[in-house]
Formats: sequence, structure tokens, C-alpha cells
Amino acid sequence: MDKRLGVYICHCGGNISDYVDVEKVREAIENDGCVLMSKTTQFACSDSNQKEMVLDIQEQNLSGIVVASCSPKLHLNTFRQVSERADLNKYNYVHANIREQASWAHSDDKKGATEKTILLVKAAIAKARLAESLTPNKIMAINAVAVIGGGVAGLKAAISLSDKNTQVVLIEREPFIGGRVGQWGEMFTTNQTGNELISSLYAQLVTRKNVQIYTNSEVVSYSGSIGDFSLKIETTPRYISQDCDAKELQKAMDVCPVVVPDPFTFGITNRKAIYGFAASQYPKQATIDDAACTHCGACEKVSKNIDLSLQKEMVELHVGSVLMATGFDPYTPENGEFGYAENESVITLPQFKKLIDNSESKLIYKGKEIKNIAYIYCVGSRQGDEGNSYCSRYCCTSTIHSAIIAKKKFKNIHNFHFNRGIRTYGKQEVLYAESLKLGDLYLQATDDSPAEVYSENGRTWVKVNDILTESKEMQVEVDLVVLVTGMVPRSDKKVSTLFKLPKGRDRFLNEIHMKLRPVETAIDGITIAGTCQSPKNVAESVNSSLSAATKAFSYISKGELETEPIVVEIDAVKCTWCNECSTACPFDAITQGLDGDRKIAVVNTTVCKGCGMCTPVCPTDAIDLVTFSSKEIMNMIDALTEQI
Amino acid sequence: MSSTKNSVSYDALVVGAGIAGGEAALNLAVNGFKVLLVEKDLSVGGNMIKLSKVFPTLDCSACITTPKVSEISRHPNITIFTGSEASNIRRVADNHFVANITRQPRYVRVEDCTACQLCEKACPVSVRDQYQFGLIGRKAAYIPFSIASPKAAAIDIENCTLCGACERACPTNCIDFTQEVEHLEMQFKTVILATGFEMFDANRIPRYGFGKYKNVLTSLQMEREIAPTRPFNTILRPSDGKVPDKIAYVLCVGSRDASVGNPICSQICCMYSIKQSQLLMGALPMADVTIYYINIRAFGKGFEDFYQQAKGMGVNFVKGKVGSISETENGNLMLRYEDINEGIVKEEEHDMVILSVGVLPNEGTTSLFSEEQLMLDPYRFVHQTDGLANPSHTSIDGVFVAGTATGPMDIPDAILSAGSASSEAISYLLK
Ligand SMILES: Cc1cc2nc3c(=O)[nH]c(=O)nc-3n(C[C@H](O)[C@H](O)[C@H](O)COP(=O)(O)OP(=O)(O)OC[C@H]3O[C@@H](n4cnc5c(N)ncnc54)[C@H](O)[C@@H]3O)c2cc1C
Ligand SMILES: Cc1cc2nc3c(=O)[nH]c(=O)nc-3n(C[C@H](O)[C@H](O)[C@H](O)COP(=O)(O)OP(=O)(O)OC[C@H]3O[C@@H](n4cnc5c(N)ncnc54)[C@H](O)[C@@H]3O)c2cc1C
Ligand code: SF4
Repeated sequence: MDKRLGVYICHCGGNISDYVDVEKVREAIENDGCVLMSKTTQFACSDSNQKEMVLDIQEQNLSGIVVASCSPKLHLNTFRQVSERADLNKYNYVHANIREQASWAHSDDKKGATEKTILLVKAAIAKARLAESLTPNKIMAINAVAVIGGGVAGLKAAISLSDKNTQVVLIEREPFIGGRVGQWGEMFTTNQTGNELISSLYAQLVTRKNVQIYTNSEVVSYSGSIGDFSLKIETTPRYISQDCDAKELQKAMDVCPVVVPDPFTFGITNRKAIYGFAASQYPKQATIDDAACTHCGACEKVSKNIDLSLQKEMVELHVGSVLMATGFDPYTPENGEFGYAENESVITLPQFKKLIDNSESKLIYKGKEIKNIAYIYCVGSRQGDEGNSYCSRYCCTSTIHSAIIAKKKFKNIHNFHFNRGIRTYGKQEVLYAESLKLGDLYLQATDDSPAEVYSENGRTWVKVNDILTESKEMQVEVDLVVLVTGMVPRSDKKVSTLFKLPKGRDRFLNEIHMKLRPVETAIDGITIAGTCQSPKNVAESVNSSLSAATKAFSYISKGELETEPIVVEIDAVKCTWCNECSTACPFDAITQGLDGDRKIAVVNTTVCKGCGMCTPVCPTDAIDLVTFSSKEIMNMIDALTEQI
Repeated sequence: MSSTKNSVSYDALVVGAGIAGGEAALNLAVNGFKVLLVEKDLSVGGNMIKLSKVFPTLDCSACITTPKVSEISRHPNITIFTGSEASNIRRVADNHFVANITRQPRYVRVEDCTACQLCEKACPVSVRDQYQFGLIGRKAAYIPFSIASPKAAAIDIENCTLCGACERACPTNCIDFTQEVEHLEMQFKTVILATGFEMFDANRIPRYGFGKYKNVLTSLQMEREIAPTRPFNTILRPSDGKVPDKIAYVLCVGSRDASVGNPICSQICCMYSIKQSQLLMGALPMADVTIYYINIRAFGKGFEDFYQQAKGMGVNFVKGKVGSISETENGNLMLRYEDINEGIVKEEEHDMVILSVGVLPNEGTTSLFSEEQLMLDPYRFVHQTDGLANPSHTSIDGVFVAGTATGPMDIPDAILSAGSASSEAISYLLK
């Protein structure tokens, strides 16, 4: 029996109808054999039109619908739900994108846009003719989530999921959880310290039965998909047992011969290869820095709780969803960038924060008391096409906040802010107002001639053509230059590459849609939280982390999940197992199987994403993608090449 | 479809059905919790549903709001009361709040209305349309706006003369003047506040001439002029219907200004002005657009590129504080401003001026509660008692806050904040 189709052509307010003559499109298709009814509508997605569609389907007993509107990225689900409400199997609805592909693309050619639209709608009708009812695959969902990264975002997500009675595995690469926040002293905008914040989050977590924390651990491989991911986690030993207390550790630290710059203080102080028990370092268990340790054995001799012979361990875990919270790296300036690494009075903002935290009564750096401080903003951010073009969002406020702390904590501090337009958005503005009141000076360079740092006879100067004083050249002699370094994506991309997570133009991990699906990724079941998605302050990281936790929870809370039946089918007779398809598959969904004793390709339908990469490489044409079969595509091509 | 419609007990009360409240309600609903969503306006969607396109991706706002709105409206676990307000919310036991809900009569039976607009045609009373920010008029019997949800007529009883014309015109007899205010008392286990923001009233700065000079508009009015469902189908200036060709934006109107009692930055005005200027350049290729700013705050994901894109398109950015605006004989406007780069006061003529007005708290959130006190911050937004680790916690246990009720923010941030509040509410419900 031929299909009974309803066709809806959307004005999209004027987004489509300003350039496409939608009525003409309707007329062009209304007499098509299986088109029973056709309508134009202001907003196909509006509630009132959806109601009308449901009625049409029921009253006219339609067996398929075509919606010609915006991208299916936006509305595929909307119209699938319309079909379902009308008791029409949702795979009988076919979408034509006439906005992005016609009206917006050809806004300079109304006639051409209209003609193209007619063809696009005809092609959709050709596809709808062949559409079949399908049932989604149902799979079990394990009520457990792996949280990767134990910074503030990861910790909050773990607490929130555990609150919702979900099993949580928290995987932190470093020996201690807390991420960057653990490294900060007082933070804007509440003046809570990083130590207070992380201590409280850790205390909430350790007591929970449904949370397992793996420190010094990384995910090294994974298989499976939403509902059941299998993760292999490799844990590097701490070499020190829990029984080693602070006193014993001190003895071991005294004998350890290896001294390295301490990454916890961004290298402004040193530590031994064996260390631990610092404030905000949790768990309270010492560790040995595997990369720095020479295995000389000196520490083993003074402590019975150290065992250098321990080996890496591997565990395998199953979870229903994965939440990525791997955070950011502070930008590291190039050698010579504003004097960095060449002039010893030049440090970065993270280093400056540690310096003011670690100093009492006097601010001293490299033996010199600091009075005049220059802050150079946007280092590593807003670099235009050549570098990181984005704004790092946190740094204006953090700098002003730190400068205020410095001024209040130490005597005779003078702050000079060499900025590019201060971005203390929202309530953070009051910090800027306070700093102006305290007498901080703000100098703004033009975009094409940035501030310059130079030194003469051991004295350091910063020079700028200040646009706030009619581009007068201003020079300030300072004791310390603080480079306001931005946020960059983690340099270690192993996990994001492992999960094949897409990245945006800024190279941070990318969400599907900033407003509609801000914490979901292109890989079903994997969410992103905190600064791995884009620069954020703590509150913003927490909001995104809790949103991701809610999303992860809704994936798995029902114990069962539906996945798309749009997967490939393999014709066992035609298949000769040449292996081309499994090589082409980006999701490892195709493996070798047997048909009797003949080797053939077999598809794991829960892993297959229906991307279609395998279909064109098959030399015997043994693969067809459900809903995009060769027959359907050929029919569409015929319709598209028809003369109007 | 749902038995909840008659129930007087819900898991959660969500106050305010803007994008934040809607998102929070949906998060709860998909996880199996029953929600009452109370909205004082005639439609859900809040401010977002009235916008044109949204930065930084330039999605058409209607196109991304309507699917959300229809998902919310149709979810079996969500009951929506529009034209309604909550009050006297009080705790009677742990995990147990009682609230009074007041439903104002719409004088139209929504179930029966087909939005045929015959009542609009019949009604003889014209007033200014608040949904188009006064740019055009509407009738006293009216459908709020084309993508309103529910899409049904309402009678503006204050302006209605009770002539009965709409009743006679209505083909489904859904107009009902006997409807009365309904008072209900309902029970909840948790509450989410998503009461959103209000715009700064431009009349409060007389030197900019809003209300006096016809061609001085606010940014929200401009949103309507450039929206796909725009009232005039083109951009024109109100005094004489001329298509403008030299448009100015004045930023920080009512923000970062202690003299009007609002010292904070409104966080969205730079970006929406940049957005509008790009849309204007697209719609009126010959027009010049100038943005008078103090600092451009393009801080979010994709914002700086969006700002650079506007510069590339030829939008003129002038670092300058506008002192005053006066009108010339032909309805043009003379801006007196301090050019910060050159340090001198200058004048420039424009034929249309948009005031990028700031974001203020929605007054009235404190009076929602009796017995326990909802604390506000110094700017009268809902106070976040643990601003870093728990941004959606308020001074009342079990009451969470989402979106711009806590302070200015853009749509992506409002949605993440709603995700955060609903996460806390779900945890609270599962305790
Ligand atoms: C100088 C500076 C000052 C700041 N001051 C403030 C302030 O005052 N107030 C404020 O609100 N915000 C401030 N911020 C911002 C704040 O630091 C961030 O918002 C916050 O750290 C983001 O948390 P996160 O969890 O997303 O990332 P991170 O803190 O980076 O945590 C990520 C965690 O993931 C772990 N990880 C990474 N890769 C892997 C992997 N492959 N496997 C397992 N684990 C992994 C890391 O070891 C780390 O523990 C400041 C930032 C900087 C740079
Ligand atoms: C001119 C302009 C342009 C903008 N452009 C953009 C843009 O391009 N991109 C972007 O990201 N953002 C933009 N924004 C910001 C965006 O509008 C907000 O981020 C968003 O609307 C906030 O949503 P919300 O739900 O928090 O608040 P609202 O939209 O204000 O919703 C609050 C809702 O609560 C209701 N309410 C209030 N009090 C009560 C009560 N007591 N009882 C019941 N209901 C109540 C209100 O009626 C309203 O419906 C723009 C804003 C403006 C003003
Ligand atoms: S927040 Fe400030 S310092 Fe940081 S990149 Fe943006 S403008 Fe530059």
C-alpha cells in the first residue's frame, strides 16, 4: 500500500518565508501521488501547530509525515514526539532542512532558494515513501557513574550523584584530589579559601559507602557504550602505606636526595620526591613522585611503611555513564613573552597567588621586598587569530581580587593594572570599584601596541601607550611583574582522545548545543563539567557540574535505556570479511563473527551510532544503514535531480 | 494523560516559568518527580521567548525556546498555572511546604480556545501591547503573542468595556466573564525560585530622553523590531516610520552606576548590543551602527570571537560615556559624550538611539514566604548563602534558586544554574 503522507512547510517566523516562497513550495508538492495533505505554518514547532499535526495524523489516518523546517538537530525529537502522540511510529516522520540548507544559505537568491526547497521537500517525500516502522533498542543501564577528575567540578558531581543513590567512581590522576582550587588561598567572591572548600567537599565524600575514590589513577582504555561502559583504570602506587604519619614522613623527606620545583606552588618553592600532608592535599596520605624518584632507596631505610617494589595496578569497572571533569591548565607564557623566564621579576598570576599566600607581614620575592606591582592582563588570551582568541573569563576578577588582598595584607603596595578593558562582569564589578577606591591605577594599552616589559641595570620597567590619557606613553618602574595568564585546555589529551570527544574552536571539549544540551557530548552517555568545557570560575564550574550530574542521573536512573535503531545491517551472504568496514568504523562497533564457518562482519548494535562510515567502503555492497538504505538514498537522489 | 492535574500535592513547586524555571521543572519531571510550575504572566517562556536571535550562536530564539516550552507544557509530570502567583509559602514539617496559589481569571476557557483571533478582530478597545514593549497596540481581547504557550486568548479586564463583542464573535463559546479568582492551597516537598529579572526603567535617567524623544528606544524594544515575529516586518524609527541609517547604542544604562543605586555590571548588555548591531547590519546593509561603551565584556565561550566578528562587519566601537541626548528638529538625536581615548567631549548625531538598559532583580521574591525569611544580597537578588560550593542554596533549607533570580546572567548560564538547582532539589527529594 502506498503511503498516506502529510507535509508541513514552516515559515519559521520569517527565517524561511522571507527568502523562500513557502506557498509555492506547497503547491509544487501537493499533487504528489502519496501526499494526502500539505500545509504551511508560521512555526511548525509551536504548541498549537503540534496539536494540529496530531489531529491531522489521526483524522486523516496518515502513515507518514514530512516536516520541512530548520535543522533536524533542533527539532528531530519534537516531531518524533508529535508522531508518537498520534500513535504513528516515529520513524515514519522524515525531516527536510530548508532553513540552513536553503533560506539562510541562499538569502541573496529567493527564486533559487525556493526551487532548491521544492527539491529538498520532494527528496524527503521520496524517503518518507519508503520509511518503515522501527522499534528502538532497549538496553540495561548500570546505576553507576565514573567521574574523571577530582577538581571542584568532579567532587561536586560525585557528591550530587551519591546523594541520588548512584554508585560513583571518582578517578583522579594526581595523588591528591582538589584540582586547582586546592591550590588557591582566598577566592573571589566569598573570600573562602581553597583549602576550606576542598576540605569540606572531601569530608562529605569519604564517609560515603557508594563512592570509590581512585587517586594516582587514570583511565587507560574503555569499551562499551551508554548504559554499560567498561573502563580499565591504572593506579600508580604511592609506595607509602597509610600508616606512615607526618613524623615518619619528615624523616624520609630529610633523607630523600631529589629536589624538584613544587607544581603545587607553580614552582615558586621546591619539594622532595617524597611528600604529602600539606594543607588541602587529600587524602592525608604521603606519596612519592614517580617521575622524579630515582629509586635510590634512602627513604625505605628510614621508614618501614615505604615499599618501592610496588607495581602499578589495573582494575576494570563497569559504569552506565561517564562524567568528564578534567579541568584546565594555566597558560604558560613563551620564554621572553613580557620578559617571562628571562627577567626574574616576572611571574604568573598562579605563582603570585601562591606568593601572597605563603608570605607573612612582608611580600618578598627572590630576596627583594615588593612594593610596586605591574599586572599585565590577557596573557595567553584574546590573542586574535594567531593564538587563543577567547577571553579566559576568570582572570580580570582574580587579578583585582589578588591585588586587593596584597594591598591589605602588606604595607606600601602600589598596584598598576595594564589591562585591555576590565571584564569584572556581574557582581564582580564591586571588586573593581573597591580597587579603584583603594587607589589602584589602571592603564589600558591599545590592541595593536600592547604593554612592554624591559629591564635596565637590574631594574624593571613597564611601558604602555595609555589610551585612558590620550595615548600618552607611560612608564612605571616596578618590583614585580605579574602576567595574568589565562586558561588553556589540559595539555594531556589522553582521556579526551580515548573517548573521541569533539573539541571546539578554542580546543576545549565541546558540548552539543550551548543552550539546549550544554553538558552533553557527541558521544552518548558522556557528559562534560567544569573548565574542561570552557573557562569558568568556581560557581560556574559547580553549576555546570551539577547540570552534568543531573543529566548522567537521568540517563541511568530508570535502569533501562532506549537507543536508536538507526544502525547498519550486514548482508551475511554478500559479506566476504575483508575487514574494510571494521577499519573504517570510528566506534569499534564492527567485529569479526561467523556465519556457519564463514567469517563475516558482525555489528554491535548498542555501539553503532549509525554514522554510515562503513557503507561506502564495502566492496560487495553488503552493508545498508537502516533509514538511509541505498534504495532510500537513490530515491532521494532521483527526486533531487528532477526538473521542476 | 495525567492524574496530577487535580492533585493538591506535588514534589516540587517551581516559581517562574522563564527558561530557568522551565529547565528546572523539566529536569525534575524527566526523573519522575511531579512539579507545579507557577507563572504570573499569561505565557511561559519568560524574557527569552521574546528575544530575536541569541548570542553568541545567533540561534533564532523562538526556534530554540518553543521546543523547550512545548516539552514543558506537555510533560505528564508538569502542571502549569499561568496567570498565577504563589504566596505565603511556609514549612509545616521537614520536607513539607504549604503554599497559597492564586489563579487570576483569564476570562477564556483555554481548553476550548482555538486561537482563531476572531475576538481580537471584534474587540473595539485598543491599548499598547506590553509584549511588543509598547511599539504597537493590541486589543483588550487578545492572544499575548504568536508563539505564546498556552496559545489562547485572554481578556484584559482592566481595559475591557464589557461590551460583549468578543463573546458574540467567538465560535467555540470559550469566553467566560463569570470566571473568578481562584485560591488554592497546595503541598510541596521542595521549592525552586526562578523569578528572573526586570529591566532597568529608562525613564529614571531623564537626560537620555527616553519617553520624551520618540526615537530613543530600549534594547528590548529593539529585540522586537528585529525578531522573526517582528511587529513592523522591517526596522523603523517610531517618530516618522523612516528606516534608520545611523544608529547608536548607549551601554551601561542603569548599570555600573551607583547614582541610580545599581553598582553592578549587568553582564549581558554588551553582548546583546553586539548581537543586535550584527542583526541590524544584516537587515540594513547601508546603516552605520555605533556602540558607545566603557568596557566590552565579551567573557563567555565564543563571546570574544563574536565581538571581533562585529568589529569585522564594521560596527563602530567608541570608548565613551554618553552624558546626554537631545533631539533635533527632524527627530534625530544629538549625543554628547566624553571620548575616553581623546579625553574630550564630543557631539554626534544619530537618527535612532538604543539604550542598553541593565538587569534588575524582580521585586517580590521575599514576600513569597511567610515565617522563614528569604535573604537577599545587597543588590536585592536572592542571596546565595554558599556562593562557591552551592550556588543554588538560599537562606531557607529546601528552597533553591535558579537563573537570573540570583543576578544577571545570559541564557547558557541560566540553563546551567537551573541544572544546578534541580540537581539539589532532586537530592533533597531523595534524602
Ligand atoms: C590563578 C587562578 C585563580 C583563580 N581564582 C579563583 C577565585 O578566586 N574564585 C573562583 O571562583 N575561581 C577562581 N579560579 C577558577 C577555578 O580555579 C576554576 O573554576 C576551578 O579550578 C575549576 O575546577 P575544575 O574541577 O573544572 O578543574 P580543575 O581544578 O582543573 O580540576 C580538574 C581535576 O581533574 C584532574 N584530571 C585532569 N586530567 C585527568 C585525567 N586524565 N584523569 C583523571 N583526572 C584528571 C586534575 O588533576 C584535577 O584534579 C581561579 C583560577 C586561576 C587559574
Ligand atoms: C534585550 C535583551 C537581550 C538578550 N539577549 C540575549 C542573547 O542574545 N543571548 C543570551 O544568552 N541571553 C540574552 N538575554 C538574557 C536572557 O534574556 C536571560 O538570560 C534569560 O531570559 C533569563 O531567564 P530566567 O528564566 O532566569 O528569567 P526570566 O526570563 O526573567 O523568567 C522569569 C519568569 O518568572 C516569572 N515570575 C517572576 N516573578 C514571579 C512570581 N512571583 N510568581 C510567578 N512567576 C513569576 C516571570 O514572569 C518570568 O516569566 C537578553 C536579555 C535582554 C534583556
Ligand atoms: S578575563 Fe580579563 S584578563 Fe582574562 S582574558 Fe578576559 S579580559 Fe583578559
